[in-house]
Amino acid sequence: MTTKHFACKADEVPQDAAKIVSVSNMPIGVFRLEDGFHALLNICPHKGAALCEGPVCGTTKQTDATEFVYDRAGEIVRCAWHGWEFDIRSGEFLVDPAVKTRRFDVSVEGSDLYVHI
Amino acid sequence: MFIVDCDCHNYWCSATVLEPYMEGLFKDMFVRGERTGPRGAFPHGHRPWFHPEGFARHDVNPVEEDDNYLIMKEKHLDKYNIDVAILTGDEPIEASTLANPYYANALCKAYNDYMIDYWLPKDDRFWGSIVVAPQDPHLAAAEIRRVGSHPRIVQVLVSHGAARPYGDPFYHPIYEACAEMGLPFAMHLGGQGGINANPIGAGPSTFFWETHAILPQTAMTHMASLIAHGVFEKWPSLKVVIIECGVAWVPSVLWRLDANYKALRKETPWLKRLPSEYFKDHIRMSTQPLEQPENIQHLWATLEAMDGENTLMFASDYPHWDYDDVTKLHVPPAWREKIFGLNALDVYTRLPRQAAQAAE
Repeated sequence: MTTKHFACKADEVPQDAAKIVSVSNMPIGVFRLEDGFHALLNICPHKGAALCEGPVCGTTKQTDATEFVYDRAGEIVRCAWHGWEFDIRSGEFLVDPAVKTRRFDVSVEGSDLYVHI
Repeated sequence: MFIVDCDCHNYWCSATVLEPYMEGLFKDMFVRGERTGPRGAFPHGHRPWFHPEGFARHDVNPVEEDDNYLIMKEKHLDKYNIDVAILTGDEPIEASTLANPYYANALCKAYNDYMIDYWLPKDDRFWGSIVVAPQDPHLAAAEIRRVGSHPRIVQVLVSHGAARPYGDPFYHPIYEACAEMGLPFAMHLGGQGGINANPIGAGPSTFFWETHAILPQTAMTHMASLIAHGVFEKWPSLKVVIIECGVAWVPSVLWRLDANYKALRKETPWLKRLPSEYFKDHIRMSTQPLEQPENIQHLWATLEAMDGENTLMFASDYPHWDYDDVTKLHVPPAWREKIFGLNALDVYTRLPRQAAQAAE
């Protein structure tokens, strides 16, 4: 059973970085992607760093050849400390999807943005 | 117990044994040209460290060429019941130090023909390594294809001293040829001179014993490079054998590679697994000289961290000064059969498996 908590105004969430909020004493990063808003716990499962405060970016797609295909621009956040790459939508670590940070559903009512915890 | 010695040096008294296998320009160079030492010395760029006592054990003193085999048979093969000896030559890998890759290749070809002609027929326990000069990878690949189908050849061999890290795409023609012939690629400690100018980080160390202890740093570079450049993705069947470069450093380097890969995998998007996983599936380390801590548990914990039960292969380094004796190899007892012989069967696939069963 989740509870809806006010996080911030929707227009406070920038395009290329997370809006860091505190909800129920939990640090949370809210992201604006093309398909809407997403929220991740701002704690890296690796060393507990401020995961959502790292750069929002793309990364190289896995290939078979020696080539560099830049992919998923704006859909990846690199942890602020050690640079582990996480999928903003799922919270999964790209190298090992079993490692993930907690993600939360987000809803918008008027100009208010809520996370569901 | 079935024993495969992965580093058994077939010595010569004089490199003049190669003369019948050379011709034309390179034979003239070999016979009349300048060399590192008197007639009979093998041409190479020498390292700046001289072993204070020479490399060979002082109880191995061949006078005639045939003594090299007879002494090896008596003091090593028969004495320790060696079932398979992988011949690793001796000076030929130093061809990698020469600036002239054509001369280096001619020397390697002559050695390979001599080894196939002279050594392999001497003893059923002998299996050969093709020595190549990696400074011209296309010539090396051609040499691998020329002699690589010989049924008693089991690997391709180079020195670990090299002009650049072995994962570099410059060398990839060699791996293409290895994969095509179904042969592992092996590097053996050596070749720290001439064009291979960077065997030691921070510049040359001073003393021989000091240097010999830290030469594995070059092997660390090669291991990282082979994994990072995706050599094992391009050639999924390829095995790499690292000979005489120490063992206990492996886990710490793998830990570091895994940690950095997790952060920066985007630099090498062709990789699909952790560096340590490529190591475990593709790289094998020869044991000699196995590190000797005061507390053996410290070593065994380290060997466990690198899956030593499956990644280590016994090597004696006969007849060198830091020879490891079969009866005194300090590895966990439960792993002995694998390390002494069975792991080698998975790498040297031309070795007959019946030999292992017969030895049991």
